[in-house]
Amino acid sequence: MAGFLSRERTVAGPGFNRWLVPPAALAIHLSIGMAYGLSVFWLPLSKAIGITQSAPEDWKVSAVGWTFTIAIFWLGTSAAIFGAWLERAGPRKAGVAAACCWAGGFVLGAIGVKTHQLWLLLVGVGVVGGIGLGLGYISPVSTLIKWFPDRRGLATGLAIMGFGGGAMIGAPLADRLIKHYATPTSVGVWETFLTLGAIYFVAMLAGAFGYRVPPKDWRPAGWTPPAQPQKKMMAQGHVHVDRAWRLPQFWLLWGVLCMNVSAGIGVLGMASPMIQEIFGGKMIGAGGVALADLTTAQKAEVASIAAGFTGLLSLANIIGRLFWASLSDTLGRKRTYMIFFAAGAVLYALVPLAGKLGNPALFVGIFFVILTMYGGGFATIPAYLADIFGTQFVGAIHGRLLTAWSTAGILGPILVNYIREFQISRGVPAASAYNVTMYILAALLVVGFFCNLAMTPVKEEHFMSELDLGTMGATPAK
Amino acid sequence: MTETAGKSAEPRAGGWLLVAGAWIAVGIPLLWGVWMTLKKAAQLFR
Repeated sequence: MAGFLSRERTVAGPGFNRWLVPPAALAIHLSIGMAYGLSVFWLPLSKAIGITQSAPEDWKVSAVGWTFTIAIFWLGTSAAIFGAWLERAGPRKAGVAAACCWAGGFVLGAIGVKTHQLWLLLVGVGVVGGIGLGLGYISPVSTLIKWFPDRRGLATGLAIMGFGGGAMIGAPLADRLIKHYATPTSVGVWETFLTLGAIYFVAMLAGAFGYRVPPKDWRPAGWTPPAQPQKKMMAQGHVHVDRAWRLPQFWLLWGVLCMNVSAGIGVLGMASPMIQEIFGGKMIGAGGVALADLTTAQKAEVASIAAGFTGLLSLANIIGRLFWASLSDTLGRKRTYMIFFAAGAVLYALVPLAGKLGNPALFVGIFFVILTMYGGGFATIPAYLADIFGTQFVGAIHGRLLTAWSTAGILGPILVNYIREFQISRGVPAASAYNVTMYILAALLVVGFFCNLAMTPVKEEHFMSELDLGTMGATPAK
Repeated sequence: MTETAGKSAEPRAGGWLLVAGAWIAVGIPLLWGVWMTLKKAAQLFR
């Protein structure tokens, strides 16, 4: 079995069609993308004992919500730890390990819910599942980049789009399953965990077994690597992962990802309350009435419209992943991030004006574009890494870079929530409490702009020698 | 441009059918998810 999973056994034979690899990657990313839909479980879990309403022994929403935070932390951590192993072991073994961890995490979580042990839920879905997220997320990156040297952005965009889209499938599916399994003695969560675990296990195994790595020296027919000096930012060699993270280019890209994600993740988390508090009654034709002054029925109507706004942002997120990553193949990675940061900073700074003008359409439009660039930032970074450090260790380097995501996952929401609370405590009206936050998020993007501006190609002295590459059985410098 | 691997770069018989099948397998759930999200987002434009 171990031999069947090895890198050597995954080398594609003659006639293999490279367009089979993106759907395999997508199967894994669509499965692990459910991480963003886990919040669908929090409310039922807060009534696991009381069933119809929370009992004193029931878990608080804030307590079970830690599952997501822990999972995202372990996503970045495991990607950083296991990235180098993945390059040696190959994508299929990593994909199978990811399937075992992600599905196994749901099984442990189900036991935790059934026996009402919160720690088991946190360890199961949070830690074990989080390790599955990290392994699954980086498993196809290196392989896709090697199959698509001519369209790196498109290839990684197709896969990483799945991570943005996973919750779109998983959340409504989980909602239906919870309702299906709910009985007078169960809220239906542990049964849903087991069902989802089984579905994801099968889908991820199918993806892992669909992975193939290209034969040595393979390149698309009719394609030749771009020559210098047209593509100055395209590495002509490969940098070892242990050297890459010691170079300034790595930390500049770390800053690029961290700033882009911090700004976007902060907005995603507060999208629903933000639009409700800024526009209040205007969203239901009761202009001039603040959210706090609406009736309960009106508030429910406003909340329903805000849920539509959140859904639209999710769509923008996945559209951006494919659109911007593909466009970066033409524009170049550095130029694409320049657009993200310059346009993003301007758009964030325009949000308070859109709120002041009382124009919900302008407000929604601004955030739609911002969220496409947030998704685009995730999907374009693997191709950027491959351009700068070469393709040999891009999966492992990408894994280490994802610690920027873990950092942003903490930095973004903290910035947004604490600034908002501070503003309100100073007597600023709720509708205006987001203005300073938006300017600070715009400032983060300016920092990201300068990190990207400072990016330069890696010096040749840092590339691996022909001898090192030969020892690894790798493709020599292009 | 030929999209296949190997020295001969000859597409395997039925290779593109397999590609279509794989894309349909991941595309159907993805489209269902997009449809569900669009239905939710439609409330914004009522």
